[in-house]
Amino acid sequence: MKKSFSFPIIFMIVITAFFTFILAFLNYSTADKIALNQEIELSKKILYIFDILPETNNPNEIVQMFQDRIESTPFGDHEIYSYKNEDGEVLGYAVPVNGPGLWGSVEGYIGISADYSTVLGLDFISHSETPGLGGRISEEDYKGQFRGLDLTGATDDNYIIYRPSPGGNVDAIAGATLTSKSVSKLINEDLASFLKEGGIR
Amino acid sequence: MDSPKKIFRMGLWEDNPVLVQIIGICSALAVTNLMMNSLIMGIGLIFVTGLSSFTVSSIRTFTPKHIRMMVQVLIIAAYVIIVDIFLKAYMPEMSKALGPYVGLIITNCIIMGRAEAYAQQNPPIPSFLDGVASGMGYTIVLLLIAFFRELFGFGTVFGIKVLGDWWTPWTIMIMPPAAFFLLAVAIWISKTIQDKEKDDKKGQVVNS
Repeated sequence: MKKSFSFPIIFMIVITAFFTFILAFLNYSTADKIALNQEIELSKKILYIFDILPETNNPNEIVQMFQDRIESTPFGDHEIYSYKNEDGEVLGYAVPVNGPGLWGSVEGYIGISADYSTVLGLDFISHSETPGLGGRISEEDYKGQFRGLDLTGATDDNYIIYRPSPGGNVDAIAGATLTSKSVSKLINEDLASFLKEGGIR
Repeated sequence: MDSPKKIFRMGLWEDNPVLVQIIGICSALAVTNLMMNSLIMGIGLIFVTGLSSFTVSSIRTFTPKHIRMMVQVLIIAAYVIIVDIFLKAYMPEMSKALGPYVGLIITNCIIMGRAEAYAQQNPPIPSFLDGVASGMGYTIVLLLIAFFRELFGFGTVFGIKVLGDWWTPWTIMIMPPAAFFLLAVAIWISKTIQDKEKDDKKGQVVNS
């Protein structure tokens, strides 16, 4: 092939345009599906935090449940979700907790009862901890421990304390000390600032 | 044109990208602590390697030689994004589990290696097969390493419990160093067998 100046440029432009077109089309045609997936994911997690996740795999039902029972209000850069029973009485709040983990930022929500006395549940929206080690923070064995934790007895904003420290109320993950520590730190900090802002403690 | 049989034998065994060419190691170390992750990663790589080799080969006669690498990267990137979008839309759980590694398929040397070494000189169909064969060679090694890591690290295979409660998980198996040890052992064993095969072949030539 003879070496020309313009041909490579034109070739590159054509081929880039071609692939960009394909990708743009794919992106466009799956955008709704991906957005729906994310919505379902978030709904599932918020419902899980309040322990009212229906035992169904039907996404519509989950989204319906979310729309009926959960209301969101802006809080800083995030949303706070409040959970109501059928009569519209507020039963609890899901407060965003964010902070650095071991490898990247950890984002989640922690649910607290309407009288701010107990933890209803905890779940993580995103994290990038080591799968199988720190990544186990999103497993039931770890996050399930947070259900029903008492918040009233906490001193110095230490709501989450790992056993066997004095006053410990949850177990850390063996082999993932740094992740466990980061998680307790970010929960304690964000919970404290939420409770302070609300003027509760 | 190479016969499909030869292409597959090269990709899977004699010229296995991980065991013999020692490329694609980064992801082989990263995603092998669970078999499911390794399998999806492998399928993703087979798809990208096969199709990008096919595409590179189809347009190889028009591609100006001095910009061919740019073109290859563009093609590979496009297919990787397709895999990423597909996982996000239809397998959101998997997409989360693999996280950034899907995007990193792009930097897997196997794909560009095959495009440069094979697809650039050969017609589309053999190139496609060659890409698939290399991808499969990679996947098999990944699954092998993942099998031992998951078994010893969690006591499970594909998430199904095989070892009972008496088993104490070896935490090191889940951590990256275990992949180093296991990969080295895998290379050691395969190299020994391959050397033996070569010796046998030589012997045959002398004998006949």
